[in-house]
Amino acid sequence: MPSKQKTPAINPVIVVALGILFIAVALILLLVQPNTQSLDFNTDSGTWSQLVVAFITGITTGGLSCLAVQGGLLASSLAHQIEQDYAEQAANKKQKAPVRANSAFPIFLFLVAKIIAYTLLGALLGWLGSYLTLSPMTRAMLMIAIGIFMIGNALRMFNVHPIFRYFSIEPPKFITRYIRRTAKGTDTFTPLFLGALTVFIPCGVTQAMMATALGTGSIATGAALMFAFTLGTSPVFFIVAYLTTELGSRLEKFFMRFVAVVVLILGFVTLDGGLNVLGSPLSLQNLTRNLLPSNSTSAPAADSPQPAAVEGEITLQVENSGYFPTTLKAPADKALTLNLITNETYSCARDFVIPALSFYQLLPDTGTVQVNIPAQEKGSTLFFTCSMGMYTGQIVFE
Amino acid sequence: MIKKTFKIPDMTCSNCAMKLESLEDDLEGVKEINASYHRLEMVIEYDESKLTDEQIISAVKKKGYKAVAAG
Repeated sequence: MPSKQKTPAINPVIVVALGILFIAVALILLLVQPNTQSLDFNTDSGTWSQLVVAFITGITTGGLSCLAVQGGLLASSLAHQIEQDYAEQAANKKQKAPVRANSAFPIFLFLVAKIIAYTLLGALLGWLGSYLTLSPMTRAMLMIAIGIFMIGNALRMFNVHPIFRYFSIEPPKFITRYIRRTAKGTDTFTPLFLGALTVFIPCGVTQAMMATALGTGSIATGAALMFAFTLGTSPVFFIVAYLTTELGSRLEKFFMRFVAVVVLILGFVTLDGGLNVLGSPLSLQNLTRNLLPSNSTSAPAADSPQPAAVEGEITLQVENSGYFPTTLKAPADKALTLNLITNETYSCARDFVIPALSFYQLLPDTGTVQVNIPAQEKGSTLFFTCSMGMYTGQIVFE
Repeated sequence: MIKKTFKIPDMTCSNCAMKLESLEDDLEGVKEINASYHRLEMVIEYDESKLTDEQIISAVKKKGYKAVAAG
């Protein structure tokens, strides 16, 4: 078949210069950031568990999903000769793609550039998110939107209905065309450059992780999240890309459903967290708590048997693993005080929210904070949660 | 130059569209290819004196997809 060769329409030097400018702007924004809280890296267990989940997602589904999307790009970036070998192999399906002894270093460069680029992207998303997380309500809406996006993507992967294809973001054609033509280069700079450019062609799982980074509302946490995720994708990406470039398309088909199931579960967890932060009784935790009443329930404050109880006051222990008791009972039609007691509490349970009262406060790691609760009608329920929607509880007025 | 649409029913993600658009660089006589995962189709503008439908369908097949001329 006749072929033609085109060169990139844009000089790579200009693109690199723009990339450097982008990084410089990102760093300046980071340094002059007025909202210094967004620079803080939350060292609580919630953040760490988020990073671990990101890494595991990367090493399992993310690596395979990214490989399916970007593997061909990497293969073509290694050398023009490999591209030809790949094409020949596609024509002669039974033959295996030759492994080039010198392909490890370009793959390494590609992955290093990719990790750096995604970490910077995570920082940028976290910074953008810090302006969206001014209130727990905004955070809840964002989490719900992210959850719907993830569920939509999973349903797209299951091919449930054509409408779900619109949950996949198609990069602008000029970007894909530029990346494709740059990939024809043969120097060692090319894999480094292309690794960085993969930020423009993220796979579905990466897009979901980017949305989560946006939801962190922190430059440091957003960057750490994307770093952990991209680092997780690297081993699978490296091994499979090194062994063969052909395996990518096979893995894509083989693991598509597995990836979809994981994204679906993560989507529902995120959506449920959003509902919790919204104070919705329809969240899974709030629904199951009422359907399956636990024994972690306090007596009404007025006639509480607890020795330290004071009339008109109720007490909630805020611990690293959540709130105790998860259900507090309180007298209706009477204003009362809620004592929030922390004792070396470092998890996100400290980020205490009562959505219905628009109450939000970061509690001290050890101490007591009092919250005035206005009189509530008999039979009503006030839900409380951490700001991430992970730990929840309720006050039932009787 | 004519513009023709091909249905590509087995695209699974937006990367498939990128793969199909790479035919721009491979096929002689192609001016532009716009592939869409959302619509599962590929619109190709080409010189009919240099390229036939069969050659396009064959090139798409080599990329791993099935192309059906639409309309």
